[in-house]
Amino acid sequence: MMVRIILACSAVLVILSLSCNNGQKSQAQFLFPDADTFPLAEAEKLSAETLDDIVRNISSPVEIAALLQKMNVPFSADYLASTRDVDRLSSNFDKALKLGIYGADLGYLNMYERTGNSVEVLQSVKKLADGIMVGQYFDFETIKRLSVSKSNLDSLLYLSIQSFNQIDEYLRSNQRGHLSALMIAGAWIEAQYFATQVVKDYPDELLINRIGEQKTILNDILLLLAPFCKMSSDYTSLCNYMNQLREKYREVTITYTPGEPETIEVDGRLTVIQNEESKVEMTGQQLSEIIELTQTIRNNVIQSN
Amino acid sequence: MLYKVTKMKKLFLYIVLLVVFPFMISGQNNGNLVSNCVASTGPNTTYLKDYVIKLPKATSKTSIPVVKENFPLSKGTNYRFTICNSEGSAGQLIITIYERDQKVLSSFNEKTGKFYNSVDFACNKTGTYTFHFSFSNGDQGMGVGVVSFVR
Repeated sequence: MMVRIILACSAVLVILSLSCNNGQKSQAQFLFPDADTFPLAEAEKLSAETLDDIVRNISSPVEIAALLQKMNVPFSADYLASTRDVDRLSSNFDKALKLGIYGADLGYLNMYERTGNSVEVLQSVKKLADGIMVGQYFDFETIKRLSVSKSNLDSLLYLSIQSFNQIDEYLRSNQRGHLSALMIAGAWIEAQYFATQVVKDYPDELLINRIGEQKTILNDILLLLAPFCKMSSDYTSLCNYMNQLREKYREVTITYTPGEPETIEVDGRLTVIQNEESKVEMTGQQLSEIIELTQTIRNNVIQSN
Repeated sequence: MLYKVTKMKKLFLYIVLLVVFPFMISGQNNGNLVSNCVASTGPNTTYLKDYVIKLPKATSKTSIPVVKENFPLSKGTNYRFTICNSEGSAGQLIITIYERDQKVLSSFNEKTGKFYNSVDFACNKTGTYTFHFSFSNGDQGMGVGVVSFVR
């Protein structure tokens, strides 16, 4: 117990010291912690509960879908994972990982208001949620009704996203953090897949930067998965893939330029504009390798059952 | 004998109701508080996450209870933070956001003493931000903070 507390405190201190590097400098840079040192190696020894305090949420795939919409990228069903083999999934590993994948697909469909097409994905989400005993948090009937009627997109998005938040909360607070980590990793992989597939046809700077910035989020995903990497061959394989992707991101540079936030009040609402800025530097070669490996990982994930 | 069993059953039911009912009510109230707060975020917003915050009164002025939550925010996205207080909450819920050790925004203006129920944030730096939730003057309180983005 004492060792776990010391390890937990050390992890927080190391992560804080790695983070607090941009105060007075004119520019700072995001670097991965060294692969063979803290925190990744030590994170494997930490309990899932401790890591929950370090990494809580992962960006919602609906944000990527919203960005694609902003770029006027048309909807494409080709980006979606097939739901054909959902009934054949037997392990909790596959079910949780694919719950994240289909959750991201659902977010993409809903953002594009392709709600009529989403019933199949909804049914798959329900089956997988039931499969890992969290179906009670997914309000299938209401979400399906809102999808089919196409009546209230905001309510549909709210209920869908909230269901996933509740599943995540439940898994974390019931010593099933390994499944929550898989669900979050699955959603991130699918959102990253959308972004990297779209950028091939729409090389918009905003999207390229968003892909580059995933370096910081990938670091969080790796921390989240680290305690479970030796749990089974499935986890090990996923961790290996994610570490390969991390290597592809290693030379992508993210620099930060400091600036004071601006605050204005409009009609009683406070608006804060952040003037501190992050800037991504990524070569075409680095982007191509990230696109290729993301596709390999995602296709491997959706085919493995 | 049958009368005794029936009486026992009734007693058991009362006990169950006494124990469970307050939680049911509280759960429903939380649900209403969250859905009403989400509904108040305004048009063209997409819900991302809610935090139901319930904190006791501070024991001293220097130890005001705070709930801290990490959340990733992306550059180029306009986020909206909406604050709602539960009926009967003595304190007003305040959200203060930090990025690493630097304060980015607060829904409470210390200079003017004004509380904002809605704060928009034009994010220019992708990263993990820490939300600090507390109640004004360290009072006891209950409320919800909703994170959404403006489409």
